[in-house]
Amino acid sequence: MIKRFKDFLAGIFLAFKNKKHIKLGIYGPPNAGKTRLANRICQDWLGEEMGKVSPIPHETREIQQKEKVTVQSNGKKLSFNLIDTPGIATRIDYEEFIKKGIDKKEAQTRAKEATKGVIEAIKWLDNMDAVLVVLDSTKNPYDQVNITIIGNLAARNIPVMILGNKVDLKKANLKKIESAFPQYKVLGISAEYGDNVEQFYKELFKLVK
Amino acid sequence: MPHQCVKCNKLIEDGSKSLLTGCDSCGGKFFFFIKKEHLEEAEEKLDELSAREKENLEKDIFEMIGYEEDKPVILDFESIRALSPGKFEVDIRHLFQREPLIYKLADGKYIIDLDSTFELRKKK
Repeated sequence: MIKRFKDFLAGIFLAFKNKKHIKLGIYGPPNAGKTRLANRICQDWLGEEMGKVSPIPHETREIQQKEKVTVQSNGKKLSFNLIDTPGIATRIDYEEFIKKGIDKKEAQTRAKEATKGVIEAIKWLDNMDAVLVVLDSTKNPYDQVNITIIGNLAARNIPVMILGNKVDLKKANLKKIESAFPQYKVLGISAEYGDNVEQFYKELFKLVK
Repeated sequence: MPHQCVKCNKLIEDGSKSLLTGCDSCGGKFFFFIKKEHLEEAEEKLDELSAREKENLEKDIFEMIGYEEDKPVILDFESIRALSPGKFEVDIRHLFQREPLIYKLADGKYIIDLDSTFELRKKK
């Protein structure tokens, strides 16, 4: 009887604990600006950066987490653990890194770590309460990676917001993303320059209820 | 007006499905339109082009129309295929579906990550 009561209390505690620590994941293909967005959020609300960004794809090769990020908008507060994930790709080729000036050995190691990162990112999906899918709005959204990520999030009933990043660039085409994923909220932002970031914080409250 | 595959020279009839899906013998997506009266002449001219030249011709046109060829990666039952050191193909469908983590090293050589496989089974 006492054990049952203890289990009951533990259950309530766990539910309360989980409720308090919403996990907000950032997913997307490599070089879409996931870490740039994570840095923007962390800079705005914690005053510190989350990870290193680079023009070379697969800079983030391990899961990065910042606990207790509190966002405020319209007098409301929203707290969550922010999780930045490695870029999801179907082909990882060290020669791509060599072209960006990395030596062969380092490029091969990077490719190996990037592949491991893809596995980790997908494994972590089970822990997420809501996901921000960051896409590069200058690139074609009809891509195996984008479609698979978004399709699987829908199948798992995880709330999703699609962010078309890099809208500051001339080639950006947000309409194309909207027509590729018409059933989702698509918001154009520039994580680097802060375009539309205020609107993004407002939308975040609707995503994580 | 018949068509001729740039890659393999195969003649394709007007209105054929191959014009939409790709040449049925080589998968090529570029075709020359040929007037019937120039058929023989065209065949000879295309033969004069080397495989390299044909490849470059395709590449130039892909660049001009801004088309990036990125075929989806669909592997057999493995999730990861190691092509050579630093070159990998990942079938993300298998990973998202929580299927056992299997690495293909070469034909007939596989590594199965039992640890993660049992972990995934618990979650299922």
